[in-house]
Amino acid sequence: MKKVWSILVTLAFLAFSIGASAVMAADGPVKLGFVYIMSGPFATYGQFAKQGAELAIEEINKAGGINGKKIEAFFEDSAGKPDVGIRVIRKLVYENGVDAVIGLDSSGVASAVAPIMKELKTPLIITHAATPDVTGKNCNRYTFRISLNENQNMKMAAAIAADMKAKTWTTIGPDYSFGHQSWEYFEKYLKEKKPEMGFLPVSEVAFAPMKTTDFSAYITKVMNSKADGVLVSLWGGNLIDFVRQASDMGFFDGKREVLLTLGAATEVLYALKDKMPEGIWVGTRYWFAGNDSPENKSFVDAYKAKYDTYPSYNAHGAYAAIKAFAAAASKAKSSDKEKVVDALTGLSITLPVGKVTIRPEDHQAITDGIWGKTAADPAYPIRVLKPVKNFTGAEITPPVAETGCKME
Amino acid sequence: MEGFLINVLNGLSWGMLLFLISMGLTTVFGVMGVLNFAHGSLFMLGAYISMQLTRWISSFWLGLIFAPIIVAILAIIIERFLLRPVYGRDVSFQLLLTFGVMLFLDDGVRLIWGPAHHLVNPPDVLSGVFPVFDQTYPVYRLFLIAMGPAIGIILWAFFSYSRYGKIIRAAAMDREMAEIIGVRAPILFTAVFAFGAWLAGLGGALAAPHQSVGPAIGEHIIIESFIVVVIGGMGSFPGAFVGALILGLLGSFGATMAPNFQMALPYILLAIVLLTRPRGIFGEES
Repeated sequence: MKKVWSILVTLAFLAFSIGASAVMAADGPVKLGFVYIMSGPFATYGQFAKQGAELAIEEINKAGGINGKKIEAFFEDSAGKPDVGIRVIRKLVYENGVDAVIGLDSSGVASAVAPIMKELKTPLIITHAATPDVTGKNCNRYTFRISLNENQNMKMAAAIAADMKAKTWTTIGPDYSFGHQSWEYFEKYLKEKKPEMGFLPVSEVAFAPMKTTDFSAYITKVMNSKADGVLVSLWGGNLIDFVRQASDMGFFDGKREVLLTLGAATEVLYALKDKMPEGIWVGTRYWFAGNDSPENKSFVDAYKAKYDTYPSYNAHGAYAAIKAFAAAASKAKSSDKEKVVDALTGLSITLPVGKVTIRPEDHQAITDGIWGKTAADPAYPIRVLKPVKNFTGAEITPPVAETGCKME
Repeated sequence: MEGFLINVLNGLSWGMLLFLISMGLTTVFGVMGVLNFAHGSLFMLGAYISMQLTRWISSFWLGLIFAPIIVAILAIIIERFLLRPVYGRDVSFQLLLTFGVMLFLDDGVRLIWGPAHHLVNPPDVLSGVFPVFDQTYPVYRLFLIAMGPAIGIILWAFFSYSRYGKIIRAAAMDREMAEIIGVRAPILFTAVFAFGAWLAGLGGALAAPHQSVGPAIGEHIIIESFIVVVIGGMGSFPGAFVGALILGLLGSFGATMAPNFQMALPYILLAIVLLTRPRGIFGEES
């Protein structure tokens, strides 16, 4: 009898302690901080990213969370300004105690923030900003990128440009590092493919300040130049204003080849609708109709059901980063920052965009890319891509030696 | 040559939009002595309201007429209940107050319409393009170029010849004396503030088909319009006109000919004017 009692007490104690440890594990949630542009002319990107993030968090929390812990999200507005970006990331880490930071739209913000992550010892997963520097000469242990970078996108642009009729190229881009670097890399990669190709000198191309709302002067400048090919690296509200004003001024009259490097952002396509000209080559980081994988189908269907729009590449970026973080944390069986960083390094994961591998040497995602030609389709409220041109991650990603990254 | 002509058109169409906004800013400053930081937000509000009206009643013209009026009514409320209590105080109170109103309106717009960009189509009669050499130019931009001087001339005539225009000028010159001879300054101030807001709203409604209606629509133009007002001379109509023309043309030719300095050009001009004629080109030197 006494033995039975002692067994019962032991069992009760065991049950209690298991329960207690389960409670302890579920105690603190996994905290994720998000930094996107939530105000100003690029604020739709932040809105889509937030929606993508919320969808991923909902899915993961419904399935039991990460290692049994629920995700708690903190959203901050970078306003697209480097100083604000640094401030809100410090706040997320020191005040909210986040386990990782996800986001960043602007290359200017990303370049300023990446070095800070070393000091904060917190993983950062960049989902949109494309400057090669953060996985290149400024790479560090804590900074990762899950989306395509500028080199990868410009490799694709150059591959498409090589098959076009244009002989001399110029550009219209935003007047900050992104616009200038896009042009540099485009010239570099296209020259590799076709050394005879001509490029206008930097003094004759057009870079418009980000606050520009009237692009007529830049459009006139490009139309009156001798170039017959134009690389447009404007994005967000700038791209919307540009496309509209350029259409009115006869820019898309077929006399010149045009590449819109970020033209397939659904944020832009939804704003322009049928004002987006047809038959123009546009780039993106992700296209919702880009593949038929079950991962993509479930993402697009869930997103469409929840928000009644098709997901943009920025929505996908935020969604993908959370899925990657969750995969890393469950591989590490912990959301400890150092362990997650180790697990993210070299992580391979199947995302809606396809199979993505984070290259251990520079933390850049090797991911497939897509460009397409704009086309009208009555089944969609926006312009769609038809035909599309797919590129494998391997063919568009420059080798590590070229990136200038020295991981310490 | 063709580049030159198109650059002139580009500069004029932007300049005339700038002129409308600067006129409101300069009138409010000239008469009331209030530097209205919220002017750009009123411009933005004009654009959003005209966009909304155009969607509801699908008429650009009704939007163009009613949006500025709605903005003016809002301005009456702002003047009557917020601005009036701080007239007697230090000028920094007014600056802080209008700055607060600006933040409030900007976030209000974001709350109501969200961060997305909206397009407004010009009315059919203005939506075409016409050929210039071997390219096309939108008719709507010509309409903008015509609207600036038209509204400018109407207002100039109003201020020069009508009784109310003269009263406003009198009050601007010497408020106390005007009150002594029977001008009801408080109502006059409300009217002038509403009029400035109406011009901002009109500018916004006119800008809507020309650029997309989004959260930062007023950011760039309001900075330039402050420069216009300082260059032209605070409170001066012809000053606003000339200043807006200069800045418009500087923008279009600067982008083509001096791409590395284009962002600095308006500020360089501002510095030169402030050093040589501190009260602006048309400002009266005391």
